[in-house]
Amino acid sequence: MEYRLKIKEEILPVEVETAGEGKIKANIGEAGFDVSYNAISDNRMHLVVNGQGINVYVADKKNGKDIFINGKSYFVQDADLLEQTKTRKKGLDADPTEVTPPMPAVVISVPVAQGDTVTKGQAVVIVSAMKMETTLTAPFDGIVTKVNVAEGDKVMPGDILVDIEKL
Amino acid sequence: MFKKILIANRGEIALRVINTCRDMGVQTVAVYSDADKKAMHVLAADQAVYIGPSEPSRSYLHMDKIIAAARETGAEAIHPGYGFLAENAEFVEKCEKQGVVFIGPPSNVIRDLGDKITSRKIMLGSGVPVTPGLTSTEADTDIMIKEAEKVGYPILIKATAGGGGKGIRIVRSSGEMAEACSAASREAQNAFGNGKIYLEKFFEKARHIEFQVLADVFGNTIHLLERECSVQRRHQKIIEETPASGMTPELREKMGQAAVTAAKASGYVNAGTVEFLVDESDNFYFLEVNTRLQVEHPVTEMITGVDLVRLQLEIASGNKLTIDQKDIIGRGHAIECRIYAEDPEKDFFPSPGKIEFLKEPTGPGIRNDCGVYSGFEVPVDYDPILSKLIVHAQTRERAIAKMIKALKGYVILGVKTPVAFLIDVLTSNPFVNGDVYTNFIETHFSDWQPDISDADLARIAFVIDGMCGSRKVIKRISTTDEAATPWQTLGNWRQ
Repeated sequence: MEYRLKIKEEILPVEVETAGEGKIKANIGEAGFDVSYNAISDNRMHLVVNGQGINVYVADKKNGKDIFINGKSYFVQDADLLEQTKTRKKGLDADPTEVTPPMPAVVISVPVAQGDTVTKGQAVVIVSAMKMETTLTAPFDGIVTKVNVAEGDKVMPGDILVDIEKL
Repeated sequence: MFKKILIANRGEIALRVINTCRDMGVQTVAVYSDADKKAMHVLAADQAVYIGPSEPSRSYLHMDKIIAAARETGAEAIHPGYGFLAENAEFVEKCEKQGVVFIGPPSNVIRDLGDKITSRKIMLGSGVPVTPGLTSTEADTDIMIKEAEKVGYPILIKATAGGGGKGIRIVRSSGEMAEACSAASREAQNAFGNGKIYLEKFFEKARHIEFQVLADVFGNTIHLLERECSVQRRHQKIIEETPASGMTPELREKMGQAAVTAAKASGYVNAGTVEFLVDESDNFYFLEVNTRLQVEHPVTEMITGVDLVRLQLEIASGNKLTIDQKDIIGRGHAIECRIYAEDPEKDFFPSPGKIEFLKEPTGPGIRNDCGVYSGFEVPVDYDPILSKLIVHAQTRERAIAKMIKALKGYVILGVKTPVAFLIDVLTSNPFVNGDVYTNFIETHFSDWQPDISDADLARIAFVIDGMCGSRKVIKRISTTDEAATPWQTLGNWRQ
């Protein structure tokens, strides 16, 4: 069978066939891999890939898995499953260009008010998380139609802090 | 010696202190906030006292609650760790008044040295060289601009209070001054409750080298060699080592002397750190004294064999230093890497979340001062340090190799960490050659991207994990809000 697996922006096809108990053969592009595997625990596998033993650690994440090999973490996603979820969610997704914090944070100040004209890149909300300040800027030129937060509010990624109508 | 002490901190440093207390047979009391009900320090201490909501100002920074907790539990002394109340003179005064011993310097010393202006004046008066710049605070942008022109750009706007890289801005021209001043001042106000700022010369290419000092109440003051802390991001150290590359015995002698002079001039007692900038011609300038146990103290412990926390407790309980300068001999080389919950691909932005899985590295010469565990939720309310990984080996070259090996075996899943970044830094030629300056990361790693040489293996592992996935199926179903279909219960296995 064939998987299409995504790491960062790159989707590559992975061809896999079973080769007996605890063994598979895989092909990615030109490269071939003989793999035997042993699940040690929920988060740990031991693989022997073309004769070389490798410890791999895995954690399930939303829409993918974090995979740790030799000091490096890879976020791997199944591109086919992703497309299915996307189609299902289509139409519900808000405009991607919105003012939302990158992580849970606390609002430090809101230098704009309803009715203000803002230009792309202008500071609209300043938040602080883990004692570090971040300035959230206007994603495009527009008019502030609504300010949804005040100083001291706790905010989460996905919360729209300021509504801006495109000019 | 104390029978019981309270540790007014959390995370790895609280555990570090508890560790030595255990060695010494001293009982420990932890304090915790709402966010830390299941934190490691609470689990490790003999007793734990709840002190309030997650906001630092209502728990870890709440002086009265902490002192009350010490009195209620019969703790005779308070160890502040670093950060929070560690360098807060008002807190120390309160402890002094309430008859609780503060494990650190007296309040007046913290006040003098915590104010960068006062400390610059003390050093100037005792002949310790300081960086060119203001010796008074300034709120007027025009005066700042005039001063900056006198000293020469680039300059550094600095908060007179606090530390840890907060309230600092580099200014390269007069046009940037107004915004930099207000940003630095606001950040300092938020972090330290004091928005006062001043300016000093910024050195583009300098080393950050600091000396550990120890002083008892009888006036015995010694230094415990240097630490090289030049590798920094966002003005915060990330890799520290000792000895410093390129340090000559003559320069060490001179700087060590200056550090002891600085400590004596300020009436220092307990463990402290005198920070210097060293320029390319080996001129050194006093930066500040950190009146606390430093984050990076373990590298000093590794090469000197001294337990700094033990000596802090000894000094605080009124004992005389039992070691003198000639007993301090550095053996081998030690390196520390700070492991934060942060994303090195996104300018080291904090990455809070749940630690899904954790496996700490072990082996000869490897020490991990860790404050978290698998399943722990890293709170957004505090500094995102997870642990400090320290290695000790005979030579710098071997210490680097050991650190790389340890990092490769340090598995942290669920939050982003700089582990892959640190491996690349330690492998890089400039680091290996000891060519480290405070601008190291901007110069060599500003657009760092992780190397993805094992991406094929990761893809294969993804498929295999799905095939072995029956062990996780139950968990998966319970986290979806829709009813499970047979296709989901089958996992990712497809024909």
